[in-house]
Amino acid sequence: MKVSYFETARYLAPRNLPREWPVPPEAYDREAGAQAYQGMIERLRCAEELGFDWVSVSEHHYSPQRLTPAPIVAASHLAAYSQTIKIAVLGPIVSQRNPVQVAEDLAMLDNLAPGRLVVGLLRGITGEYLTYGLNPAEARERTTEGMELVLKAWTEPQPFGWQGRHFQFRTVSVWPRPLQQPHPPTYALGTSREFCEFAARHHLGLGVSYAPFEVISKATRYYREQCARYDWRPTPEQIIYRANILLAETDQEAEELLQKQRGGQPPFPLRAGVRDALLTLDSRNVAGEARVPNVGGILPTNFCGGPDTVVDQIKRCRSEVGSGVIDLMFQNPGSGDLGFLTRSLELFGKKVLPHIRDL
Amino acid sequence: MVQTEDRSTPGAAFREGYVEAGGFPIRYMEAGHGPPLVHLHGAGGLRLTPAHDLLSRQFRVIALEMPGFGQSPENTRTRNMPELASAMAQAAGELGLDTFNLMGTSFGGKTALWLALQEPDRVLALVLEAPAAIRSEGSEPPSGTPEEMARRLYAHPERLTTVPMPDPAIQAKTRPLVMRLRGPDRDADLERQLPVLAAPTLVLFGTLDAVIPPEMGHLYKELMPNCHLVFVYDAGHAISTERPEAFTEVVVDFLERHEAFIISRTETVIHP
Repeated sequence: MKVSYFETARYLAPRNLPREWPVPPEAYDREAGAQAYQGMIERLRCAEELGFDWVSVSEHHYSPQRLTPAPIVAASHLAAYSQTIKIAVLGPIVSQRNPVQVAEDLAMLDNLAPGRLVVGLLRGITGEYLTYGLNPAEARERTTEGMELVLKAWTEPQPFGWQGRHFQFRTVSVWPRPLQQPHPPTYALGTSREFCEFAARHHLGLGVSYAPFEVISKATRYYREQCARYDWRPTPEQIIYRANILLAETDQEAEELLQKQRGGQPPFPLRAGVRDALLTLDSRNVAGEARVPNVGGILPTNFCGGPDTVVDQIKRCRSEVGSGVIDLMFQNPGSGDLGFLTRSLELFGKKVLPHIRDL
Repeated sequence: MVQTEDRSTPGAAFREGYVEAGGFPIRYMEAGHGPPLVHLHGAGGLRLTPAHDLLSRQFRVIALEMPGFGQSPENTRTRNMPELASAMAQAAGELGLDTFNLMGTSFGGKTALWLALQEPDRVLALVLEAPAAIRSEGSEPPSGTPEEMARRLYAHPERLTTVPMPDPAIQAKTRPLVMRLRGPDRDADLERQLPVLAAPTLVLFGTLDAVIPPEMGHLYKELMPNCHLVFVYDAGHAISTERPEAFTEVVVDFLERHEAFIISRTETVIHP
């Protein structure tokens, strides 16, 4: 089992923030921001020393909850401050970006962090489409086409034009080429039937997130079936499961912290009218079964307990979900400081990691 | 701009004509005004698509039926592709076309390349739709039941209003001709000559082509000095049938501007 540490640049607000998305820029505290980005590097070094295999970043906008609107910028910063850990960009929201630029930026990063880049491409959760004014009805098609174009831009040996539905380029000729050939390990991040099929057709990995094992395993099973249809078999490492983890010294402590956390509200919810309208415009599925989109809600905590319990939960995840990589979002209940997060990271490195290495 | 067309009867505005060339009576379909664009069809024979209609808005489109295809008598005379190309060049001449744009589809793409090599001064620009001139080893032209044919030719047959059904009798008649003229998968004689072909050339492949892998596209670019390669997303082998608007837009732009077609003219002003 490989373990990825999901880094979000933790921003500790010195004063109460408006509880609504988007959060007004005037509420941004520059000192707190500087500390958040400094903290990224400290936790990166800690994770690398503890033996985490990957550090991952994602794309989120207009709030301090995850301060990485430009994940490739964040990833190149992390790459510069590390030596061996893989840098996982999970990932650019393809539906709202220029796919050729995504291909260029990632190819460059693969050369800057030689051979250490891992890529996840995704459609993005519905609320993200508000950032650049993307019509949610077009998000799925734009993602599929954009991903195909990214792969083409990495692999075509000659300049080419692209006559798409949503993208048109007359000449694409990406320099530098990715260092890893034919391209960096790449995952389609999603659970939908369409995504599983896309990943299988292009021999990509699959990244799933947050839903309980029994739900998410429907998607990973469907993905493996589709791969078989295309005559190949993914390795466990080609399935990533991103999960929330609340790791404490004991089960009891973890459970108490979880209870405290459960009563809370989503940190920066959308206004109700926007949320409800988005819900009617989006459709999601797990391997073809309809699933209610998560529009700014709270995500479940997937691993929770003391080290022994978490080891057991991860073993169960390995056998039920089939993932060979877990990408962990460490919870830090209470917002006073990040001491609990640091202790959890160390606890994981010392008391969990050695017991799941050989899964 | 999204253009749509009534796709129920493609080619309704085209009129039929005949011309004598190479000892064959050659049927053709013609519509439109403007610079001439001669089209050479694929191994399935001449079939007008919505792309012909769209192209005929800006060009005088002449789709030639090559001898032995369609309702024409079986052709046992033409021995190879250069001979076929020569007959097609002659047909264009008989129609009064001194110079013209030339478009070839699949099998006809190879005919078009030979024609351009034989008559370099007459071909203003060349468009090759999923050309079958360079093929992966052991490739076979589509055959079998209409359903099997449709799966090879189209990425999304379910999206077409009508899936063109080949006539089995015509297929049986033309297959020996196709197999005789298509030449080897890698035609050394042709590939040796391509580097001197100066005509501005546009090669198009559908990203889901199940007849000729789109990965063959770059070989044209490597062999021909003035070649541009464009992938048409989500289209199969029959690009002009599956994505006629996307196909026509880039073809028209290329025929009008040649290599300068890489300069965007897309306007992004939302409100003045």
